[in-house]
Amino acid sequence: MGVSKGKSVLTVNEKKQNRKRLWKEIKKHKVLYLFMLPCVIWLLVFCYAPMAGNILAFKNYRFDLGIFGSEWAGLKHFKAFMSSPEFWLTIRNTLIISGLKILFCFPAPIILALLLNEVRAPKFKRAIQTMSYLPNFVSWAVVVSLMTAIFTPYGGIFNDIRKSMGLEAIFVMGEKNAFYPLVIFSDMWKGVGWGSIVYLAAITGVDQGLYEAATIDGANRWQCTWHITLPGISTTIGIMFIMAVGGILNAGYDQILLLQQPANTQISQILDTYILQTGIRYGKFEYATAIGLFKSVFSLILVSLTNYLTQKYAEVGLW
Amino acid sequence: MKETKGQKIFKIFNYSFLALLGLITFYPFWYVLVASLNTGRDFMRGGVWLWPREFTLENYIKAFADDRILPSLQISVSITVISVVVGLIFTALAAYAMCIRTLPGKKFLNFFWYFTSIFSAGIIPYYMVLRSLKLTSSYWLYILPSIYSFYNFILLRTNFANIPYELRESAQLDGASEWTILSRIYLPLSKPILATLALFIGVGKWNDWFTAAYYQSKTALYPAATVLQRILAEASAGSQVKVGQETALGTMTSYTTQSLQMAFVMILTMPIVVVYPFLQKYYVKGVMVGSVKG
Repeated sequence: MGVSKGKSVLTVNEKKQNRKRLWKEIKKHKVLYLFMLPCVIWLLVFCYAPMAGNILAFKNYRFDLGIFGSEWAGLKHFKAFMSSPEFWLTIRNTLIISGLKILFCFPAPIILALLLNEVRAPKFKRAIQTMSYLPNFVSWAVVVSLMTAIFTPYGGIFNDIRKSMGLEAIFVMGEKNAFYPLVIFSDMWKGVGWGSIVYLAAITGVDQGLYEAATIDGANRWQCTWHITLPGISTTIGIMFIMAVGGILNAGYDQILLLQQPANTQISQILDTYILQTGIRYGKFEYATAIGLFKSVFSLILVSLTNYLTQKYAEVGLW
Repeated sequence: MKETKGQKIFKIFNYSFLALLGLITFYPFWYVLVASLNTGRDFMRGGVWLWPREFTLENYIKAFADDRILPSLQISVSITVISVVVGLIFTALAAYAMCIRTLPGKKFLNFFWYFTSIFSAGIIPYYMVLRSLKLTSSYWLYILPSIYSFYNFILLRTNFANIPYELRESAQLDGASEWTILSRIYLPLSKPILATLALFIGVGKWNDWFTAAYYQSKTALYPAATVLQRILAEASAGSQVKVGQETALGTMTSYTTQSLQMAFVMILTMPIVVVYPFLQKYYVKGVMVGSVKG
């Protein structure tokens, strides 16, 4: 008690001395501040300035007056968005696509990692791993090109097979019903191998002694996986799950934009693609900014909430 | 120990399943490679699955002669190289500064770095900044924004923080400057992670079709990935395959817009296929570090 009291009540002289000491410390490290200066400026320009630029969502933008000079519009743009038919449409599509991805693409790398862990032939294991990483390194533009080649009605293998079964050739990429399966399958194809790295790393971290003890007690491989490996990597699964749920409003616009076709916009228009369309294509900056801000705030709430819940019930957390 | 019957069945299932997975991953690339080495006209008849039926290099020759494709490839190569160099230098400088324990104001600075990773500014305000800096009609649109990324910064900082602090202290006693410590001790000890970051930055740049498609107003400055996206969009808008554009002039060509596109896809994929397996042991480690601390 006495010590902390003595510390909090500083004389003017001591304060001065402290400030002097701090200044001296800062000076001693001045080269380090210089080192981080480029990145600090970068963050100010490309992250913090756009954050401030979000006030555009509350303004009537006029090019000649600039973002800060334009007059206030209150919540006009938010109201316009929420009362438009696109509101529920884009949110529904975003949640459906993200939900399907969490349902199918989230567990896939975990299963792959568990299966790879059972492989006792190192060369085979490595070959499969190397192959499975490749799609992660190519552009979505390349992935969609590969899909177009396979599904094209002009000589593609998919329609060859259909024809040989006596069915008619179809233009799969423009088929509305094929959109969600194509999104899910291509996302899984691109990400499953890469995603498994994290889980494989977690599996190697599980205490080997537990397996030995369990085998002595007569546990088989399946029981070992279920009772040792899975609980052993549950923290990693938890963290990955928080990130997946926190990013639920990002349904992957990179991929969606490339798979979007006039025939499927009713089910493929997500928040991000709608922002890009209204903002950059049509130039309705304030309106699109309002949607973006709405999305960012909700994302932040979602991450905090899932983090809180998992911390409380599973003792896993990002922070 | 003897395997039980159930274990044997599982083993057979597991190996065949993984082999099938490898096949599904690899086959689309093989399929398009074969198609790109087949004459476009013949490909349209169907049935070219495993091997070119009418072998030709025409698609590649045409692709390299295309007045959109070749310049875009040059742009992509230069963007990739410059971004890797610039990105590594500035990320390393900042990561080094942020792993020094005695740095005053570290708590505030930490928050300054972290906050951007949990709250995103949004696409349109970001675009407005790019526009007001006149980057939307400039080559620098591809370079400047890639100087920093939170993920790369954390990877490198975590790696730097694992280097014994005593090395720095003893070097300081010998009168070494911060720059010397970074370039002579920290960077040489971080070669694997630097290789990983170079791969991540390079691949990211090489593959980025989005930046130019939405932010770049000069089509002459499009990188290869964006040109590929444009070709895709044009093809699906027409949903028709044009057979050799010069047919009207009487010269019968055997390539199609489709086969040309496949050659282009392979040109974009090849550099990656050549590079990524060799860095595997590094980036696997990098992802592990990132997943623990990120």
